[in-house]
Amino acid sequence: MDTLFSQLSTLGSSVILLFGITLLWRKSLRAYTDAFRWQSAALTVMFLIIGYFGNDPELYVVAVFLFILKVLILPRYLERMEQRFGDQRESQPYVNIVTSLMLSGLLVLLAYVVTRPLVLVSDLPTRGGLPLAMGLIFVGLFVVITRKKALTQIVGFLVMENGIALLAVLGTFGIPIIVELGVFLDVLMGFLVMQVFVYHIHSTFESIDVDQMNKLKH
Amino acid sequence: MTFFLLIFPPLLAALIATLVRPYRAFVGWIGAWLSLISLGAALTIAAQVVNGQTPLWGFKIEYLNLEDVLRADSLSALIMVCVAGVASLALFLSPGLGRQQITNPHWGELAYAPNQLRRYHVFINLFIAAMLMAVSANNVGVMWITIEATTVFSAFIIPLKLNRASIEASWKYILICSVGIALAFVGTVLGYFDFVTLSGRAENALNWTVLLATAPTLHPEVMRLAFVFLLIGYGTKAGIAPMHTWKPDAYGESPAPLTALMASSLFAVAMYALLRWKAVADATLGAGYTDSLFIALGLLSLTIAAFSVVLATDYKRMFAYSSIEHTGLMCLGFALGPLGTFAALLHLVNHTAAKSLMFFLVDNIEHKYRSPLIERTRGLLKTMPWTGAIFAFGLMTLIGLPPGGIFITEFALFRAGFALHHPWLMGAALALLAVVFVSFINHLNKMLYGVPAADDINMERPVEKFSWRLALLLIPVALLVTLGLTLPAPLATLINQSVAILSKP
Repeated sequence: MDTLFSQLSTLGSSVILLFGITLLWRKSLRAYTDAFRWQSAALTVMFLIIGYFGNDPELYVVAVFLFILKVLILPRYLERMEQRFGDQRESQPYVNIVTSLMLSGLLVLLAYVVTRPLVLVSDLPTRGGLPLAMGLIFVGLFVVITRKKALTQIVGFLVMENGIALLAVLGTFGIPIIVELGVFLDVLMGFLVMQVFVYHIHSTFESIDVDQMNKLKH
Repeated sequence: MTFFLLIFPPLLAALIATLVRPYRAFVGWIGAWLSLISLGAALTIAAQVVNGQTPLWGFKIEYLNLEDVLRADSLSALIMVCVAGVASLALFLSPGLGRQQITNPHWGELAYAPNQLRRYHVFINLFIAAMLMAVSANNVGVMWITIEATTVFSAFIIPLKLNRASIEASWKYILICSVGIALAFVGTVLGYFDFVTLSGRAENALNWTVLLATAPTLHPEVMRLAFVFLLIGYGTKAGIAPMHTWKPDAYGESPAPLTALMASSLFAVAMYALLRWKAVADATLGAGYTDSLFIALGLLSLTIAAFSVVLATDYKRMFAYSSIEHTGLMCLGFALGPLGTFAALLHLVNHTAAKSLMFFLVDNIEHKYRSPLIERTRGLLKTMPWTGAIFAFGLMTLIGLPPGGIFITEFALFRAGFALHHPWLMGAALALLAVVFVSFINHLNKMLYGVPAADDINMERPVEKFSWRLALLLIPVALLVTLGLTLPAPLATLINQSVAILSKP
């Protein structure tokens, strides 16, 4: 039973990480939105699996909220922005695709190194997925740093949030529900304010490339 | 009950500001007067803590256990008073309280439209409520949520006037701080992970008191990793180098009361979160690990800030760099044992008063000169004798001249450092402070004297008259002078108790 559980959790984490890496080799916002939606769906399934095997009904509640927020609401907003701005393409990121993919491999390796102590002290059947969750956090961070479009950065941030949620559920079978719900509320508000800014950026700079924002120095 | 009086008034003010549209001046006034209730509650809590009590509040419904969800010890009380005090000052000095500002049909460059004022008063009150909540929360998860909420609320009002610079500043702010604070959450999760691995799941495991009690048994290698994430995360919010890059932009472009709040209160709250976790990490690892990280980043902040102040051409950004400098100093202090921690906490109080004072004055100056550039701001003492004089006092306090309180705290800090045999570190810090000192005096000279170009000044009122707004600014001045001359007994007790909390053997 535990072996099935641990295999499922490692498999699930890998799938979730792969959707994160998709951001690095796709270029269009539509692809990002899809990747994020599927990743969130996989994350929801992960919550259900852990809720079932870990015998924790609270996780079902969290999974419902997760599904509503990250599979239904946020991708819908992203699609609306895509319609508004046209299908924005990340044509020239600061780091090109080939290098990005190789670096993402290194980031996942780094995640294995960093999370070694966690895997060693934990005796949970889900511990195999911990490095993958940390890898996803790093990949999300990498996307935020190296991509030029404001929208891509937002998706990178959301992917990073997914990574944190995955880390929490794998490592602890879910943080206390009150905190979990507060985090969802923050993600939603943070997303909404970022979205407002993307509209502002678009109307003020006439594009959503952030590399033209270089006025403020000294 | 006291907690209710602390957190509810700003929420009520935000609600009123939401409901009244278009914006009217009384909304601002109600918010300002309500903030005094908050301040009173904060002072009451501080008094209770000084008397040895630990105010708690919580409830329990069915299986949702929220007992002692709010808790105030002396460290929370200290920061709470700082936050509530600056909040009151900021709300009384907010845009939209004077009649002429609202009814003026010709919006000057620096006046705000009613919808902007409404947005401002809604979010500044929410921002204040979130900060007060963050320092009262016992649960480190709730603390994280409220600190993240401060990012969101403040990001709404940094670009009160939409232009390229303000949008750029707020985009950088929200992105850098959101990502940073997300990393702090990774750290929180890792801390909880360690707890769960040891003692199984518990609803109250994220309560700081529980964490601290368990800390000696936690795994050092996990705690080390967790603390790095927490330091990067909350350090981003506090503006510790190298995560400080949002600070000059955001301070330069925000409305003045928000800048004052961010530079003093928000900074104090972020530092508070970091200190809470430092106490836990120290209990697990011994103080050496976190201390060396604090020293490294503190020295880096000092270095970057010192050279940026030299190059500064914009006085708002100059004070942002000064904030980074003081952040660095405080980081050093917190790493220098109980003596250093005492000095750093007192420094925090002084810095709160001094920095909020400076940003309000800077607002007056910007209104008059219509430019944030140092070279276009000449002859302050002639055109604005009151603002100019207080400005000179505040700036001299900031660089550590007596009789301001910062002189005493910097002295205490360096004494603590030398007592712990860190002569090289302290020597380097002193040299960097000297750089800041010289360049600040240089900038101040340029601003105070000289002849203002005729087209630079708003000519309606050539010489500034004393007003109640300026009188309010004498409160932080009085506080700074008092703290420079003496240390009031209740404050000493409060800080001593906080030091005891932070440096448990």
